[in-house]
Amino acid sequence: MAEGEKYRKERLDRGIKARSDTIYVLASSRDLLYLLMPRALPVALLILLPILLHGTYWEKVLFYSCIFGLLALSWDFMNSVGLVSLGQALFFGAGAYFAGALNHYLGWPIFLTIPAGTIGGALICTALLVPVVRLRGVYFSIVTLILPLLFAHLIETLEILGGTHGLLSLSAYPSGWIAIYLAVGALLLALFGFRKILDEDFGMILRGIRDDDRVVMAAGVNIYWYKAQSIFLAAAVGSFAGALMTHYYQFVGRSVLALDYTILPLAAVVLGGPGSFAGAALGSFILVPLSEALRAMGGLRMALYGLILIGALAALPEGIFHYLQRRYHQFERMVKV
Amino acid sequence: MLEAKNLMVFFENALAINDLSIEVKREEIVGVLGPNSAGKTTLMNTISGLIIDIKIKEERRGGERITVMGELWFEGEEMLHSKPSYRIRKGIALSRERHPIFPDSSVEENLRISTYLRKDPEVQKSFEFVYGIFPPLRELRKRKAGFCSGGEQQMLSVGMALMTRPKLLLLDEPLLGLSPMMQRFLIEAIRRIRKEGIAVLVAEQFARPLLPSLDRGYVIENGMLSFQGTGQELRDNPEVRASFVGV
Repeated sequence: MAEGEKYRKERLDRGIKARSDTIYVLASSRDLLYLLMPRALPVALLILLPILLHGTYWEKVLFYSCIFGLLALSWDFMNSVGLVSLGQALFFGAGAYFAGALNHYLGWPIFLTIPAGTIGGALICTALLVPVVRLRGVYFSIVTLILPLLFAHLIETLEILGGTHGLLSLSAYPSGWIAIYLAVGALLLALFGFRKILDEDFGMILRGIRDDDRVVMAAGVNIYWYKAQSIFLAAAVGSFAGALMTHYYQFVGRSVLALDYTILPLAAVVLGGPGSFAGAALGSFILVPLSEALRAMGGLRMALYGLILIGALAALPEGIFHYLQRRYHQFERMVKV
Repeated sequence: MLEAKNLMVFFENALAINDLSIEVKREEIVGVLGPNSAGKTTLMNTISGLIIDIKIKEERRGGERITVMGELWFEGEEMLHSKPSYRIRKGIALSRERHPIFPDSSVEENLRISTYLRKDPEVQKSFEFVYGIFPPLRELRKRKAGFCSGGEQQMLSVGMALMTRPKLLLLDEPLLGLSPMMQRFLIEAIRRIRKEGIAVLVAEQFARPLLPSLDRGYVIENGMLSFQGTGQELRDNPEVRASFVGV
């Protein structure tokens, strides 16, 4: 350059990242730590937290965070297949009502209702959504948005499944530990499971469908079958959250089909950063406790909550997780041009 | 008229344009020739200002950091960091690669959209001007642009740039995907545009049909200038002939 004094910011991968990414040789325990830390630390924290928070109000908050985390993961998974869902409440509600009804009418014990609710709810949701997997983009989203509202009204007007009163006095967990560790375990399983699935060949097809479904079709893959499978997986995770919550409350009513269970997970994913699953989980572990902490504000709570959300999105549109990930793997410095 | 000095564009740490200086004089047809990934489109975006917009979007997304350095003088004014809309007002218009148009609007509506920035009452004259350069567009003016063929869309795309009454027209790969006949027609049109007093800077990788019409040309490779000269010098250079003309 003529001036010779121009600088620009340069972004480089850390040496340790380049080494562990490509060579697969871990030179030292420091390398091992570098790779394991971001995975092991949250896992250890999640396993320890129930013990630390035992008996306090925040134990409940942790449970809700896991529930919303599961829904956020389920949203993120559908999103990575290109299915933008606005109906996580459908999955949640299906699981909740399925487990609740089996327990209430047939007297099934918890350890049967939760698996049955998970599988049954997922099957129902898949059956409901399979006819519309051919719809793309916003048309699919609208159908998923309407379905939970439709069922809420059906339950109300037809007075089925307890009608407006809901199903009361369902069986409780034998111990609070079981509930919370089921939630934490399911969250970790879904988080790492989904990440693993997307890394497999199966996941490659799913990501291909999101990027350009016609190319995948041209390769001779039945994309509707893959879409149905991914809806089933996402719905199973959502339904499990619903079934878990039902027995935690010992109650299931129309509120499980409410818009909250759609919007909050979505907000969590957007805040945490979509596409990585870790972002979705992180987002719900920020949003749910935040919304609880703001309870002291009274009426201003939702307004303040909204402001914080908008502020975070404006400052970090890529999502918190992606930002942290970049900071962890890369460093910046000024270099002379 | 346009003078770019020591342009450098970084996409993160990759150098897309390296110390490139080019010049376009009044009523010239200047070619920027280069293979794929030479940096032609980046150069066009840098001159038209689109790179500023891309840069802001990438920054907000947390994606690649784009750094633009150097000088860009247009009619005595430093433009490197001006917004695209300002550059269009001053007379730099770009017709982008792969002729993007508004498929759901008619041809005439597409042309009208481009006059949005203009406040003068002479829009009708510009319509006549564009229809004069591309007579087929007059017949198609009521048709939805999405139903037009690739060649017609390319004409429309150049026409949209002309509707802003530019002094310098930037064409990014105008011949891409066109039949040889349509290519000849388009090159004829470029000559007519020049006759109307508009300088034209064309980026193209397939230079054979274009070469006879160029006043001057720059050959770039990997973002660096590898050869420059008048049209005749380009035509006579054996390397240019081998790489871009295919003889």
